[in-house]
Amino acid sequence: MAAASARRRPAPLVLLSTVFLILWLLAAAFPFLWTAWGSFKVELDFFSITDWTNALTGEATENTYGRPFTGAGYFGAWIQEDFWRAALNTGLVCFFVVCTSLTIGTLGGYALSRSSHNYVFWLLITALIFRAMPPITLVSGYLPPFFQWNLWGHLPTAIIVLVAINQPFTLWMLHSFFQKIPKDLDESARVDGCTQFEAFRFVIIPVMWPGVITTGLFSFLLAYNDFAVTAMLLNENNRTMVPKIAAFLGTTYTEGNVMFAVAASVSAVIPLFLLVMVFQRQIVSGLTAGAVKG
Amino acid sequence: MAEIQLKNVCKRWGSFIGVDNFDLTIADREFLVLLGPSGCGKTTTMRMIAGLEDATDGEIVIGDRVVNDLDPKDRDIAMVFQSYGLYPNMNVYENIRFPLKVRKVDPATHNERVMRAAAMVELEEFLHRKPAELSGGQRQRVALARAIVREPNVFLMDEPLSNLDAKLRVSTRAQIKNLQHELKVTTIYVTHDQIEAMTLADRVVVMKRGVIQQVGTPTEIYDRPANTFVAGFIGSPAMNLMDGTLAGGVFTASNVRIEGLSGPDGPVTLGFRAEDASVSASADGAEISAPVYTMELLGDATMITVRAGGAMVSVKAHKDYRIEIDETVGLSVPAHICHLFHKDTGARLEA
Repeated sequence: MAAASARRRPAPLVLLSTVFLILWLLAAAFPFLWTAWGSFKVELDFFSITDWTNALTGEATENTYGRPFTGAGYFGAWIQEDFWRAALNTGLVCFFVVCTSLTIGTLGGYALSRSSHNYVFWLLITALIFRAMPPITLVSGYLPPFFQWNLWGHLPTAIIVLVAINQPFTLWMLHSFFQKIPKDLDESARVDGCTQFEAFRFVIIPVMWPGVITTGLFSFLLAYNDFAVTAMLLNENNRTMVPKIAAFLGTTYTEGNVMFAVAASVSAVIPLFLLVMVFQRQIVSGLTAGAVKG
Repeated sequence: MAEIQLKNVCKRWGSFIGVDNFDLTIADREFLVLLGPSGCGKTTTMRMIAGLEDATDGEIVIGDRVVNDLDPKDRDIAMVFQSYGLYPNMNVYENIRFPLKVRKVDPATHNERVMRAAAMVELEEFLHRKPAELSGGQRQRVALARAIVREPNVFLMDEPLSNLDAKLRVSTRAQIKNLQHELKVTTIYVTHDQIEAMTLADRVVVMKRGVIQQVGTPTEIYDRPANTFVAGFIGSPAMNLMDGTLAGGVFTASNVRIEGLSGPDGPVTLGFRAEDASVSASADGAEISAPVYTMELLGDATMITVRAGGAMVSVKAHKDYRIEIDETVGLSVPAHICHLFHKDTGARLEA
């Protein structure tokens, strides 16, 4: 009994930590919840100067549409302003960025993790330096040749640049995953009759799946959330979601345009929300992957 | 026919010498054990035979092929790793079958061969399990089955028993010995455990810092060690080694006087095995007479240790023998059980 009561934490501490947790949760979730709620209102409600509670009750929305909620923002963004095209572009960009960076990353990470040469260390350090630089510094370097060669504005250009920016990170992450797989596994596969590549294909990759998925997720998130590269390198028709939202915000002269941005950002967040829910385990393991080894 | 010849094989990393001028012919169907302390180059030697490590110099011949430039898969070998190297995503059956599958052996024969290999190591009831669901001993047997399923020309085993507990080690050791006898395949076995070497080997190679110290049958190694290193490494307890001087066939050192030896006059190292010597009835006239340093009861014998000739010297006495510490004891070490070694080089001095 004594041991049990000793293990129980004092009531004030429990209360304090619970209150703190709830406050923190509210602070973290509030902006999103507020935006999600407000996306179904008209601009006069959501950005009301007279009374902020209008954003909650939706007075102006009711006056305009006869209901406190309206899908006008979503309709405007997706149909009128072709946000679906931006969503499609984001999908294309993410797909190709993830595929390319994973292909290069798994092959390169495996080779680096199994090599005993000194340059491996320096290669990885260089990769880390490139990863640490703000992407915008790289983009400004890319711009002049892209204009000159008439490559500016196209999706493949943005994909290549995003891969180049992502690659150090994926390489680094996959390398540390591969290092966790004992060399004995490759060696026994090679003795059993595999070439080095067959050992990689039949023995290492099946064991590596969780690491590849985790790295893929991070690569996806980087591509999905990117603003610097896509905003600078894509023309108006090829914009992905994030720069498109920024463009909505930039044209606030027309009433309602800002609501397109609100609706569009809510739409852009939802896939991420689902993704994180489904893959939360892999993401956490990825966050701690480099923590002990690398 | 799979005779293995190692012709002056060397392995160097920069200026560090891993294996130095290893020259040996391993007969077909022989069970050869590479024995030595960690870092002596025994595993490197095996890995060079397997093709997992390139030889810096020399030639490796398996059968009648020089294999130096061949990939491991083309050398027709099978290897058991210390850490087993099982494929965690496949069950036991698939693990054992893997070598047949990647080598494109006729699929119709797979099942029969896997079942036969599994039966040999008594794994039939675990075939559907994943390696993670097996105990250490069972994993070791999967690794063995995977090695034998293809019936290769050479088995290589890298300390296969070192991750098992003492009891399991003894039974698996017996199993390996029996398997090798049954399959009649040339086997090279690496270990740092001299008991494994003694029990398993047809021939033992004792290595130290990349250099072969002695090659011989277990009895030869035990009874006629080539130098003080081998003498001190083999046997439990290791051979007693005392420094002293030999003059006119008489060896003298502190507390020691042994007559009737033959060898050159001068400083020498004298060795004898604890079980060859005995406790004499009285301290007077015994070859060694010294106060007891410690007495250990081993169950089947009593071990008496004294200080003599600048070293601790142990002798096995009858299991009922009792004596107090610091009491003077006489130890009988007749000349015919003694081995003489050069004091500086440690090499054996022949009579």
